[in-house]
Amino acid sequence: MTELHWLTAAEATRAFAARKLSPVELLRALLARIEQLDPKLNVFIHLDADAALDAARAAEREIAAGHVRGPLHGVPVGIKDIIDVAGLPTTCHSKILLDNLKTADAVAVSKLRQAGAVILGKLSTHEFALSGPSFDLPFPPARNPWNPAHHPGGSSSGSGAGVCAGLFPLALGSDTGGSVRNPASSCGIVGVKPTYGLVSRRGVFPLSFTLDHVGPLTRTVADSALLLDAIAGHDPADPGSAPSTARHFGRDLMRGVRDLRVGFVRHFHETDMPANPEVTAALEDAARVLQAEGAELRNVTLPTLNEFAAVNRVILGAEAFSIHAPWLRARPGDYGQLTRRRLLAGAFFSAGDYVGAQRRRAQMIAGVNEAFRDFDVLICASSLDPASRLDDPVETARTYPRQARTPFNVTGHPAMAMMSGLSDAGLPLSVQFVGRYFEEATVLRVAAAYERGTEWHKRRPPIG
Amino acid sequence: MDKDLIIALARAAGLDKAVADFPDDVFAAAQQAFGNAGAIHVPTDPADEPWPPMRAGAGL
Repeated sequence: MTELHWLTAAEATRAFAARKLSPVELLRALLARIEQLDPKLNVFIHLDADAALDAARAAEREIAAGHVRGPLHGVPVGIKDIIDVAGLPTTCHSKILLDNLKTADAVAVSKLRQAGAVILGKLSTHEFALSGPSFDLPFPPARNPWNPAHHPGGSSSGSGAGVCAGLFPLALGSDTGGSVRNPASSCGIVGVKPTYGLVSRRGVFPLSFTLDHVGPLTRTVADSALLLDAIAGHDPADPGSAPSTARHFGRDLMRGVRDLRVGFVRHFHETDMPANPEVTAALEDAARVLQAEGAELRNVTLPTLNEFAAVNRVILGAEAFSIHAPWLRARPGDYGQLTRRRLLAGAFFSAGDYVGAQRRRAQMIAGVNEAFRDFDVLICASSLDPASRLDDPVETARTYPRQARTPFNVTGHPAMAMMSGLSDAGLPLSVQFVGRYFEEATVLRVAAAYERGTEWHKRRPPIG
Repeated sequence: MDKDLIIALARAAGLDKAVADFPDDVFAAAQQAFGNAGAIHVPTDPADEPWPPMRAGAGL
């Protein structure tokens, strides 16, 4: 059997069913790996090993009695620390909320418990899921398992680094400007931002009401489908929740891409924000893989990355300021500097700026929907550079905004990032696939075909 | 951008403490905001409505 810490969720549950492995055995192996590697990677803010062991023992008893709840039963999951877990604080990686003990689970966590998943604890993030890696916060920033001198992407940093390093097979993250897909890109794993409203955000500390999404980070496409199946669903208490009945996101994973129409958004990385040459080469390779698998590939034009980013920043800035204004007025010194600067920007947007950005957003949505009349899925860049060093704030500030993820927070379309190569320096490169609203199954179908056509998902970081 | 204007806008937003303790952050934030707002091609047709629209239903 594969080393236990590299088992996917699907492999683990098959082993549970065959009585070759128990949830407690798997959890103990992961706890040992966490003890070994977390001091180097800073993935956890709060590891709740006792509660996880209790949950694993309960899962073991139920499975032994023939009561299998589903494909995540007994599988450990890490939770980004802006998402509530009953009995643990939700600190948002900030001094502001150090004592923010929660008594109820977020809806997504509650659904995971119902599915029998084992909640491991709370994971590092950028402060309030904003800004970037910082050293002036109560907890250190997570580090990249491919090279701990580099950042793992964010803001779902611990989620990405932990899945990548084999500390757990599944994690929840959130994505307001790319924060699930960025760590997936930097760490060489799979990250899915579902359609806006597909996954409830109740119990998730908001960053930007109309841009926030919750999504899975995993090492394989099939595991992302399983995790998304568990957490998707309408929630009338989340004003953005969609009354969608989309389910069984992995149903088409083996269908291949023959005759699918794929639009390549080349201008994102060729002219809007010219990408690192290694990123460009890997993207071209990814496009060739899909063509070789039978997809029909043509270029497509969307609004520019720079304008998508500006719309995202105005909306995010205004909405975040409305949440943080009381703390910014009373305790500005309790934020890290990067976060304080980003949040203060919201004070300088006018009402007209905000409404104007929302009106432009409507046009952008129409533009992307128009593209989907001719294409079933889009392919484009995710990060335009490999991850920078953590001790190089200038390079981090230069590269962090160089990304093609915000367009699909602005429009709400489902989008996912996954590994497309390794740079000469040994850091992951990435590709992004985007679909029509609620057609996650098609996006995952394309991603699965790409995964089968390459070996990148089999590469492991040189750690541990 | 006029620093006095930035300070006046920050104070109007109740950010006196931030102005006093972190003036560089306030100025940097203002520059970010003005740069982003100016990069958007706001629709000129008055009929273009924002997203998400108001929808009659539960709670409205």
